Amino acid sequence: MRIIYLNNAAGSWPKAPGVVEAVSGALEGMPAEAGRDSASLPDPREDCRRLLAGLLDVPWPERIALGSGATQALNQAILGCARLGVRHAVTTAAEHNSVLRPLRHLEQEGKLRLTIVGLKPDGSIDLDQFARALDGGGELAVVNHASNVTGKVNDAGTLFRMARERGAITLLDASQTLGAVPVRPQEMGAQMVAFTGHKALRGPEGTGGLYVSPDVELPAVLTGGTGVRSDLPLQPGEMPMRLEAGTPNSPGFAGLAAALRWVRENIASENARRRGLGSLLRRGLAAIPGVRVFDGGCPDDPGTGVVSFAIAGWDPDEAALVLDQCFGIRCRAGLHCAPEIHRWIGSAPKGTVRFSVSGSNTEQDIEAALSAVRALAAARPAGREAAA
Amino acid sequence: MKLVGKVKVEDCFDGSSVYRYFFEAAWGREDIRGLQALGRLEYYPDFPRPFFRLIGPGGAQLRGVEGEDSCQVVLPRQGREEVIARLERHFL
Repeated sequence: MRIIYLNNAAGSWPKAPGVVEAVSGALEGMPAEAGRDSASLPDPREDCRRLLAGLLDVPWPERIALGSGATQALNQAILGCARLGVRHAVTTAAEHNSVLRPLRHLEQEGKLRLTIVGLKPDGSIDLDQFARALDGGGELAVVNHASNVTGKVNDAGTLFRMARERGAITLLDASQTLGAVPVRPQEMGAQMVAFTGHKALRGPEGTGGLYVSPDVELPAVLTGGTGVRSDLPLQPGEMPMRLEAGTPNSPGFAGLAAALRWVRENIASENARRRGLGSLLRRGLAAIPGVRVFDGGCPDDPGTGVVSFAIAGWDPDEAALVLDQCFGIRCRAGLHCAPEIHRWIGSAPKGTVRFSVSGSNTEQDIEAALSAVRALAAARPAGREAAA
Repeated sequence: MKLVGKVKVEDCFDGSSVYRYFFEAAWGREDIRGLQALGRLEYYPDFPRPFFRLIGPGGAQLRGVEGEDSCQVVLPRQGREEVIARLERHFL
């Protein structure tokens, strides 16, 4: 059975052209890391930083610290802010556990007061509640650019303007958007942006990073070897070295650089294609009797290619099992590591089935997925007679 | 159907108990029909690969696909040991 891959919000597949070759080439060659051996080969991280700075439209590639992905970046940013003295964080119920858990750990340890702002039934952030939370002393605002459940793109510019006006530090979780939707931190007022390489950028798993604007001097959370400045007793203060302790994932970053080069040349066509396929999916699902779509109030795809739904009579995890094993549609079900949002959009306690497309999917993939969902929504068990 | 192994499957929910049971042979239609001894069988023959769901002892569910040599077992919150024993007796 041919498998149709609709789980790109978890991890992209296929990877961008050139990624596999770049990773393989890096693994086949002798390891060469800046400052760590006698060779003086180019560091793929420098390519990544330059290309990411272009994508983020910032003139400071050195302010982009690379690491294992958005979770590491978000932990670095949140724990770093706590070290800076932030004592009240404001976030939203739309967030992923990679935001909620580090904040809650700090709260549990008594190091931080946490306010989680509620959502409207369509999954949008309640702006009045957000403003009240900031007025209550919020010093750090953490917001995702797009929900990994509904695919809804939040108006981060408005949220961060409110935060900046009140003197709060702003952190954007761009896990679902960098590469898919314009992310311009200077325009949006995002002082920090956490991102991953393996989703819309279509690079390898285990790559990502954190952009930190020059007006935030984020302290290191992880310290250790940097390959250079080894005589210093403490972590060097320069960016990005300050936030990049340990041996880098050079094969991964070689792959990420290849992905970023591909994105630079193809971003317009890739994103138009993802948006078109995503809209086809949203509208198709909404037209199926017995299917409830959690689309964040957007009948057309906002650019993320992500949509959640539920099928009457089927638990989400069971529906995903059947879609995969009986129809060859690979997707994801459950809470999607974002447990709070389901209480607000009406998908608690079991969550949703989620489809997420990339520009490599086809119209035939979408029709096959819709046809499978139609079959599940219409199915009635045959019972004893048919089994006999 | 003879049970040859099982693994715990992690999912999103604390306290849920999902296993994958492995059998020595693939599920055939007769094997699926035999599940009726354990509870209410629901069978979906019109999918590209037929699917079955058994609502079994204590509300446990068995979910599987004809032609596969494994199935998913979702245990109820209460009386799990008894349910496991009942299921595994069936698959001796």
